[in-house]
Amino acid sequence: MKNKFLSLLSAALVLVLALSLCNGMAPVAAEEEKTEIVFWHSMGGVNGEAIDYLVNKYNEENDKNIHVTTEFQGSYDDAINKLKSASIGNMAADLVQVYDIGTRFMIDSGWVIPMQDLIDRYDYDVTQIEPNIAAYYTVDDKLYSMPFNSSTPILYYNQDMLDKAGIKEAPKSFAEIAEMAEDLMDKGGAGEPISLSIYGWFFEQFLCKQGLPYVDNGNGREDKATKVVFDENEGALNILKAWKDLHDQGYAPVVGRVDAGLADFVAGKSAFTIGSTASLKEILENVDNRFQVGTAYLPSVTDETDGGVSIGGASLWALNNEDEAKEEAVWDFITFMISPASQAYWNAQTGYFPITVKAHDEDTFKENIEQFPQFMTAIDQLHDSSPESQGALISVFPEARQIIEGEIENMLNKDLDPEEVVKTMAEKINKAIDEYNMINE
Amino acid sequence: MKAWKKISPYFFVVPSLAIFVVFLFYPFFKTIYLSLYKTNNLGQAKLYVGLDNYREVLQSPSFHNSLKVTLIFVLIVVAVSMLMGLINALLCQKAFPGIRFFSTAYALPMSIASASAAMIFRLMLDPTVGIVNKLLGVNIAWIQDPKYALVSVALLTAWLNSGINFLYFSAGLTAIDESLYERASVDGANEWQKLFRITLPSLRPILFYTLVVNIILAFQSFGQVKILTSGGPGESTNLIVFSIYRNAFFNFRFGTAATESVILFFIIFLLTLLMFRSEKKTSIQR
Repeated sequence: MKNKFLSLLSAALVLVLALSLCNGMAPVAAEEEKTEIVFWHSMGGVNGEAIDYLVNKYNEENDKNIHVTTEFQGSYDDAINKLKSASIGNMAADLVQVYDIGTRFMIDSGWVIPMQDLIDRYDYDVTQIEPNIAAYYTVDDKLYSMPFNSSTPILYYNQDMLDKAGIKEAPKSFAEIAEMAEDLMDKGGAGEPISLSIYGWFFEQFLCKQGLPYVDNGNGREDKATKVVFDENEGALNILKAWKDLHDQGYAPVVGRVDAGLADFVAGKSAFTIGSTASLKEILENVDNRFQVGTAYLPSVTDETDGGVSIGGASLWALNNEDEAKEEAVWDFITFMISPASQAYWNAQTGYFPITVKAHDEDTFKENIEQFPQFMTAIDQLHDSSPESQGALISVFPEARQIIEGEIENMLNKDLDPEEVVKTMAEKINKAIDEYNMINE
Repeated sequence: MKAWKKISPYFFVVPSLAIFVVFLFYPFFKTIYLSLYKTNNLGQAKLYVGLDNYREVLQSPSFHNSLKVTLIFVLIVVAVSMLMGLINALLCQKAFPGIRFFSTAYALPMSIASASAAMIFRLMLDPTVGIVNKLLGVNIAWIQDPKYALVSVALLTAWLNSGINFLYFSAGLTAIDESLYERASVDGANEWQKLFRITLPSLRPILFYTLVVNIILAFQSFGQVKILTSGGPGESTNLIVFSIYRNAFFNFRFGTAATESVILFFIIFLLTLLMFRSEKKTSIQR
């Protein structure tokens, strides 16, 4: 028994020795110092493939011996939550893609290197970036993160139905949608005039379109927001009234949250739907030429149609790992990702905006626009919006969106008074903001 | 040598004890600790508030709604899934051609992840392109209408849980002595009498066990709610577990989430205790 044990032990020892020898030899054969950086993203499906393509290209082409590893983190919410648990030790990533409404949270977290620091250090010309997009991520005159995938909401319409109903121009407001509704259902063959998803993002955009702020302190940009103002400036009431009107007349049934309205549109049931520009490609593919898809500016809830839209989507945040080599590598990788060529490819593959102005000169971009002229609507709409309509920054934005969505559902399903609903929304969100501000100073 | 014999059993316990401590006891006490604090956006305890979280949660209309919704949900899920499991098991009690196919089909839900089942059901329940509306010839927004959302999610959960119930009941049925049935037949009992006088009473212990497991399982349903309704429309499917998730990972309020977890723990704990009590009483009476 003992003998057997001893022989086993010696065998193990020999193995360990051999292994450690191998290890000692290894560095000689290995390449010289490689900078490894980790990039967390939340792009699944087609968009994820586009990311992988870009990253692979970068890994092959860069001459600074940098290697980027991508790690898919699930949804934006998941990614930000994983970041929270990782932060206690050191950051698990060097670069992370965070959604628009996480901006305030990221700034408050203190984990990040403001993008502006890198821009100043490496002397990057910021004017190359689409100004309306950069404006969203600029706080206190600092660009905190690098815009990467940006989108705005647009109105999609079924051209065939509009033709049959004898409608020449896409609607600019909810009132115009209501006017067209009967014709669309009688002559156009629409099952429902509009499949309008209940999405907090749309609510924010309808406020933008009226040129009204969501929260105080310059929409949360001059200082931390302390309360909502959409209840005082009538903005929310206008939205809810218009929404409820459409619903009560039977023109906008409850179809579900976020992007649920797209299904009815693609199926040829609804004449209109509102969706992100980033859905354009998917919609066109799913419709597959069964009918002609048109795009127009986001309709307004009031007759006032001058206001603009703000962007949604996500941006890239550099995390502070106190490692200069990594910072340099991260910056180099970012400049590749926002280069005109990469952005033109990204735009053509996904339908997100090219965030670099010069991407418009790339052939990839031009071909894409020729093939999908509908995309031009999105770009025009963005250019027609002023940088002032850059959208709110709120620490509790994810929760606020949930509250808005839940209350709109309640209003439509339970036939509640819009004024009461606005009050409830404001109370709930204010409570969340108060508590957050009290604890996180 | 003797001392070693006395100590050695404890060494065998160490691995499982370590796992229990790391994955059960530590989180359990940490949850109780967190429930007494307000937490910052990183989930660190920041401000001691004593029982304020409990007061707040117990008074909030949203939590009352969660309690009500959870109760209805659990009732539907437990009743339907146990009934389905039992009926399916009874159907497969007798051998007939193709039985393997049927018993596999009935046990299948067990192996389906709740998330993937929910994804499939989301397509099937779609009001426009979904197959359910087409087959039934109706136009119902199953998961968008607060009247149907909870029932839809509950029925899906019941189906998912019925697989494991089928297994339990099938095992219970094979354990019943065949001679009991033979004797009953000799005495002239019909099939219904056999079912109510022999099968069900013999299944009692397993029925009880399944009930306890099912209630706990139903209380913990999460994936299907997250994917199908995200607690909506309104708050009509905002089960306690989902509300915990939302508070912790969405609203940055780990303290509140911990409080709700502790309350949920006590609810399940009490229910289980009550059931064991009543089971003991009735079995003594017999």
